[in-house]
Amino acid sequence: MAELAGILGADRLSDEHGTPVLTPRDAAEVSTLLEAASKTGLALVVRGGGTKTSWRPTPTRCDAILSTAALAGIVDRQPGDMTLVAQAGTPLAALQAAVTGDTTHRQRLMLDGVGGAASTLGGILATRAAGPRRQRYGTPRDIVIGARYVTGDGLAAKTGGTVVKNVAGYDLAKLLIGSQGSLAVITEVSLKLNPVPDVARTVVLQTTDAAAVAAFVAAVRTAAITATVFDVRWPEGIVAIRIESTPDGAAAQIELLQGFAQLEELSPEAGDALLEEHLAFPFTGAGAVLGIGVRPEHLATLLAAVAAAGGLFVGRATLVAGDIVLPDLDPERIGRVVQAVRDLGGNVQARRGDETHGLAAHTAAPGVAMVEAAIKQQLDPAGVLV
Amino acid sequence: MAVAETTSVLLVAAQARDIVGPDWVVTDGAQLRVYECDGLTNHRTVPGAVILPGTTEQVAAVVRLCHEHHVPFVARGAGSGLSGGALPTEDGIVIGLSRLREVLDVDAANQRVRVQPGVTNLRVSEVAAPFGLYYAPDPSSQQVCTIGGNLAENSGGAHCLKYGFTVNHVLTASVVLSNGTIVELGSEAPDAPGLDLLGVVIGSEGTVGIVTEALLNLLPKPEHVETLVAMFPSIETAGDAVSAIIAEGVVPAAVEMMDRLAIDAAKTQTPITWDTEAALIVELDGPAREVRQQFEAVNAICKRCGADAIQVAASPDERQTIWRARKSAFAAVGQLSPAYLVQDGVIPRTRLPEVLSGIRALADEAGLRVANVFHAGDGNLHPLVLYDNAVEGEQAKAEAIAMRIVELCVDFGGSITGEHGIGIEKVCSMPKMFTGDDLTAFDRVRSAFDPVGLCNPGKLLPTPRLCGEVPGFYHAHPVETAGLGERM
Repeated sequence: MAELAGILGADRLSDEHGTPVLTPRDAAEVSTLLEAASKTGLALVVRGGGTKTSWRPTPTRCDAILSTAALAGIVDRQPGDMTLVAQAGTPLAALQAAVTGDTTHRQRLMLDGVGGAASTLGGILATRAAGPRRQRYGTPRDIVIGARYVTGDGLAAKTGGTVVKNVAGYDLAKLLIGSQGSLAVITEVSLKLNPVPDVARTVVLQTTDAAAVAAFVAAVRTAAITATVFDVRWPEGIVAIRIESTPDGAAAQIELLQGFAQLEELSPEAGDALLEEHLAFPFTGAGAVLGIGVRPEHLATLLAAVAAAGGLFVGRATLVAGDIVLPDLDPERIGRVVQAVRDLGGNVQARRGDETHGLAAHTAAPGVAMVEAAIKQQLDPAGVLV
Repeated sequence: MAVAETTSVLLVAAQARDIVGPDWVVTDGAQLRVYECDGLTNHRTVPGAVILPGTTEQVAAVVRLCHEHHVPFVARGAGSGLSGGALPTEDGIVIGLSRLREVLDVDAANQRVRVQPGVTNLRVSEVAAPFGLYYAPDPSSQQVCTIGGNLAENSGGAHCLKYGFTVNHVLTASVVLSNGTIVELGSEAPDAPGLDLLGVVIGSEGTVGIVTEALLNLLPKPEHVETLVAMFPSIETAGDAVSAIIAEGVVPAAVEMMDRLAIDAAKTQTPITWDTEAALIVELDGPAREVRQQFEAVNAICKRCGADAIQVAASPDERQTIWRARKSAFAAVGQLSPAYLVQDGVIPRTRLPEVLSGIRALADEAGLRVANVFHAGDGNLHPLVLYDNAVEGEQAKAEAIAMRIVELCVDFGGSITGEHGIGIEKVCSMPKMFTGDDLTAFDRVRSAFDPVGLCNPGKLLPTPRLCGEVPGFYHAHPVETAGLGERM
């Protein structure tokens, strides 16, 4: 550890409840640090804003935390090309403010700020976090166009680039997104931007009949609607649709939606507040949180299972993906929800509680596990990144 | 070819007869020539053998044979790729996937379709059409190119500006790894735990495995579509219009540009009367009233930016004609010149005028003509370098210009390929865009999937044999990896 601190200088080393925190200034320092850690057999945990540390089990080993806090700032922004390059430790809120603050170009960054203001770009990628607006804009894998990273043994490399279309080389950003910092430290990210729409309008359907919700969702999904948000809250019984378009385009879509069911339109402020609430949802309460995904046809069954287990669900109605918040960390309850989702052929990822992580642990098929292990061995041969 | 290698290929071919049946193993010289190249016809190598499996299990069994006998293999779909990704090696086999061409399931309720890799791109949209659905990626070659090839290349097309690429529309894939193991990647439901291996396989140009089945996402057909062609006095003014449309906050479904030479070529194939230096095709789709409102804005922008005339497609037939003109431009250039090379590079859209004058300067210097067809919305250029292969040395000159054009794209912060892939054509240009360390990291990931190096060797990453030593890029020879020898 003394050696690592020596590389960065004493001012880059701090202490957090007995665990050293290393804060390298740039990718070159990350590289030197990881190369040295590889040689000395240290175990490091990468941390951005620290808002989603519960999305993975507590590491069994952690000699030091590698903080990306000093890797902050916009590297390049090209409004004409609608692209942005920023360092991985930059808080998402700062990026969004910089982009939307430029009122001349009226653009925005459509990564959802799941986790609150401290969430960093690198952390959102590493956890593959996505929120309500994935309905239209997708998840980080659809928005990221390139990245710079440092492998576990200190190789500083890039993948992709800064143009929106590019198939040169492997798209390793896809591999790093969702890898929980286990393969490499992401140091810089290139992203696509989107135009700010003229208007945003939100309508809601209220019903506690799961079958009615499913029927409404199925009807709307193939209609001429381009929703930015299409969320369901259960068992509250709310379906919320946010339409962002030209004034005429929004009016026409709202009219069309009114033809499917009796909907209430929210004020613009209430619509924005609802979006914020849904972004914050996976962090509410104190019980277990599960990120889940099932096939579209299983929406009604999922809603019934959530209600039966005494949980709350907020998620994307057509995809179907979202979060279940349970009232406690009761293993029986967690197990029941995990089983219900898996019985539907769905995916479960624990978001809070080591017990939850244990119960929702995923086992890859042998062939897949073999490739995953080989990739880990290739990119982090000494097992530095835990 | 060394005797030992010939024996290995023939051994694999002989044993493969028991797996796929004798009719589906090709070893006859004349028949093998059919597979000597793909759409990049200036590179040709006759393979040692061609094997045509009929099931995923047969593909896996053939790959296991290759693994056992250390014979390299390359997967081949329609062979329409433009970067030589399906170019065989003479000591290896081609695994042709043309027999795997079933649409296995259309699941309209969940908006998805399960297909074998030999199904053509257009067929996916055809089977989805009765349900009001379609498959978004639409490469120009969509009538012939196959889904397997689309996954290998991460194909885009004119409409990827708004809808993304193949990687954004594939849910799962069955993949045969280089040792013959069959793995299922991706998930039918969102948010699968674990690494996104599917994201690496898509666009890997057949170097990490063979896709034998895929589950594709379908989209509802847009309610309304509007298409216009605006005639501009210069490429530069047309480029200004593109920037202005984007600045307006409109995301068109497609923005395509053709220069005079490309228009002249297209005229030989389609009944268009465009007489202009630059034709800009803009298509909007989505909810009707939104599209109409934005279309008016686009129309006004084109006029403001100096369009001499604007033609709006008044019917689906007229729209078809516009797209036929655009999509036939590559092949139609064959009417203007005995031979031509199709190039593929990407630049930040805002650098279009500078790059185009750069291309003109390169063409003038070489005394060759270059036609430009491009996806202007995302800065993906397709310069077509015209030459006469009967003239001694002209092909080499054309190839040199084509390479200098993509390297120019890199100088402007772009990429050496937007959709055609690296293949064999651009392996030696990879160091222009990537450092030795970048390439080492790519190579490590490749080795994780294919430690022995049998899966489409020589493609995507530069090798010393083809390109000389790349500074800093260390590629371990299989002998070294196996611990049987060391580099001196």
